Amino acid sequence: MNIIFELYFAVFAVFASLFITEIMSSILLLLSWKQASSKALEYIAPVWEVTGTFAAFLVVMGDFAFPSLLVPIASMFAPLLTVFLIFFIARNASLAFAEFIVKRKWLDEARLYRIYAASTLFLGIIVLILLSALVSGAGVNLSQQTFLLGTWLFSHGSLLFVVGTLCIIVGLAPALFSIDTMKNIVLPLTVTGIGVSVLAYYLYSSSFVSLLMLIPIPLTLLIGVLFVISKKTAAIVANKAVFITALSVTVFSLQFLVYPTAIGGQLHVDIVTTSGPMTSAYLTITAVGGALLAIMIGFYMSIAGRSKNSAPARGSKQRS
Amino acid sequence: MPLFDRFLFAFTIASHIILASVSIAIILVISIAEFLSLRRSDKYYSALSRRLSKVFVIIFGIGTASGVVMAVELVTLFPGFMTLVSETGAISILYAEIFAFFLETVALVMYVYYANYLSKYAHWVLSIFIAAGAMLSAVFITMANAWMNTPNGFDASVFIQSGHVTGIDVWAPFVTTSTFAEVAHVLPTVLFAGVMMVGGYFAWRYIKSKDIEEKKMLTNGLKIAASLGIVTIVLAIISGINEITTLLQLQPLKYSAIELNPTPGTDLPEKLFGGLTNGKIYGAIPIPHLQSLLVKLETGITTVPGLSQFPTSDWPPLYVHITFDTMVIGGLLLGLFFLAYLVDWAFLKRKPHESKLFLYSWIPLAYIALMIMELGWVTDEVGRQPWVVYNVMTGQQAANSTSGFLIPGILIIAFYVILLPITFYFFAWVFNSKSKPEEEEQNPKTANNMDMSY
Repeated sequence: MNIIFELYFAVFAVFASLFITEIMSSILLLLSWKQASSKALEYIAPVWEVTGTFAAFLVVMGDFAFPSLLVPIASMFAPLLTVFLIFFIARNASLAFAEFIVKRKWLDEARLYRIYAASTLFLGIIVLILLSALVSGAGVNLSQQTFLLGTWLFSHGSLLFVVGTLCIIVGLAPALFSIDTMKNIVLPLTVTGIGVSVLAYYLYSSSFVSLLMLIPIPLTLLIGVLFVISKKTAAIVANKAVFITALSVTVFSLQFLVYPTAIGGQLHVDIVTTSGPMTSAYLTITAVGGALLAIMIGFYMSIAGRSKNSAPARGSKQRS
Repeated sequence: MPLFDRFLFAFTIASHIILASVSIAIILVISIAEFLSLRRSDKYYSALSRRLSKVFVIIFGIGTASGVVMAVELVTLFPGFMTLVSETGAISILYAEIFAFFLETVALVMYVYYANYLSKYAHWVLSIFIAAGAMLSAVFITMANAWMNTPNGFDASVFIQSGHVTGIDVWAPFVTTSTFAEVAHVLPTVLFAGVMMVGGYFAWRYIKSKDIEEKKMLTNGLKIAASLGIVTIVLAIISGINEITTLLQLQPLKYSAIELNPTPGTDLPEKLFGGLTNGKIYGAIPIPHLQSLLVKLETGITTVPGLSQFPTSDWPPLYVHITFDTMVIGGLLLGLFFLAYLVDWAFLKRKPHESKLFLYSWIPLAYIALMIMELGWVTDEVGRQPWVVYNVMTGQQAANSTSGFLIPGILIIAFYVILLPITFYFFAWVFNSKSKPEEEEQNPKTANNMDMSY
């Protein structure tokens, strides 16, 4: 077991879960503003800063954990990452402005939130392209340190990976926000998404389709099923902490896609993981910082829980 | 495109520094204002902290984006540098900084979105946590920069010869020979620049406003900004003197460049501005004996170093002398402003916060403070050239050799050029605006909290 990788992947799983829930909110804001905006915005308001911080966390933790990967990653993905940055700035700026704007001519809160939603969606697609390339190696030549988007696009499984994941995200979005009017799409889209994703993994490597899929597939399905079978069970998955935890476990269980080898077998993760005295520094700071973070999140959860018991719905951002 | 890469990163960090300094200043002003509002039950301090907390949320959002841009650009533009950082204990500093960032984020989320579920003092304590997180982030980043100036924690000679990192001491980079001097100088100067910007806005708004109530609130803001300004300028001057003497001993080449000393000597003048061509100084205003005298007084060193002691290939661009002099003169000007402010306020018992002379002076001085902070950073970074990590790794070795940044890079720059002025305009707009009508309608309790009445 590679503890450095496991810790990194655990943080990735949390980041991915937060980010996926933001993509879910974004899709609902774009597709169904009237029905979803109040619930989605109530959720986004306190969470988006934390997602952003996790993004920075992931970058620096990656620098620490896999130092010898930095040059190849920079060479291969720099243009794509730079486009990512542009959308990231757009996401933060539009959201920060949206929280306080009062309608001025054509610019209003709804329009800014839609810009945020579109930026987040584009960010999601860029991340999915990167992840797909890191899993399959499509378009990637590690020895020459190049990544060709065209090659990636026409490789088996690439588009299926993106489409499958997006189907799952759209399918589960109504469950996160308890939108009953969209109940009908939940299971069909989720099942389609799982099927397409499994096909994509199979096209990447037949070894991916194994018993290891027995954690993520049932867990993903369970979220959808719980939402549709009764109001009582729907309330369980609509609990944000439960949903994010389930999503984090699901993402974490997908680590077999990139460990022990990634980039379509071109990269052995153990070889590029930091070692020697750096390991102890990594573990020590992660333990101390993680404990601090856990205390803060615990405090945050207790206040958030208290607010839930007495808070009115949105419109009501509890801002001082 | 190494030149464009450098420009892109310099542009990004120059923009980020502005956001960082203003955000640190704002959260400190918020915290102090909130404390005073609690102690004195003062509605003007209360209104000030509430209005600024909205501005802080925006600057935090933009600053986070800008911070992530920097973190990613470091990897994509300077992978060689980041590999060295990541293979040594220097990465521990950046890693620790992330947890400080988390402290700021989580505290901010609670402070802003759950204010109604906290006691007044718990709410205020959270503002201290936010400020602590913001300042700790600045401290850690400065520690990483100090490591770039005086690298330690690995065997540099082995690395230079073989490219391999050996002899790692993971904790050593937290305390290099220049860390204390650099942190002690950077923190007050960054805070000072931010406070000047915030105070400058208060001053401008005070001049413009005809609302007596608003003027009272702004007067309170100016009192806090001026107090912080006085404390930080004193600390900046003291720590600046310490920083230059540290530089003299640890980086004599950089010192020689910023002092424009062509040769070493025992009786060197202090040269204001000017340049160096063919070993000769031109266009400088010399103050005889001053440099050697100051060096002797501060360090006991009698022979001041000069550029001729070092190979010309290692010299940094000599315009750092101009940036340094401008920074020092600007700092002295600001020091004089606050000296006059202090005399007027504390000794003559007048009200400089309402004096047109001080208010009108504050506005251009805010820009000067911002400029000298940026010049200080330029002097530090350019003064280390051609090294990125002093005497270990050059910029060329650190940079990404592949192309492909030009168009996305230009887009990032264009984005900042448009976004930063809009952001600052929006700060002002949010600071002066009332609550959203629908919020007042839907949630009177929250609306009261957001009320802009005094």
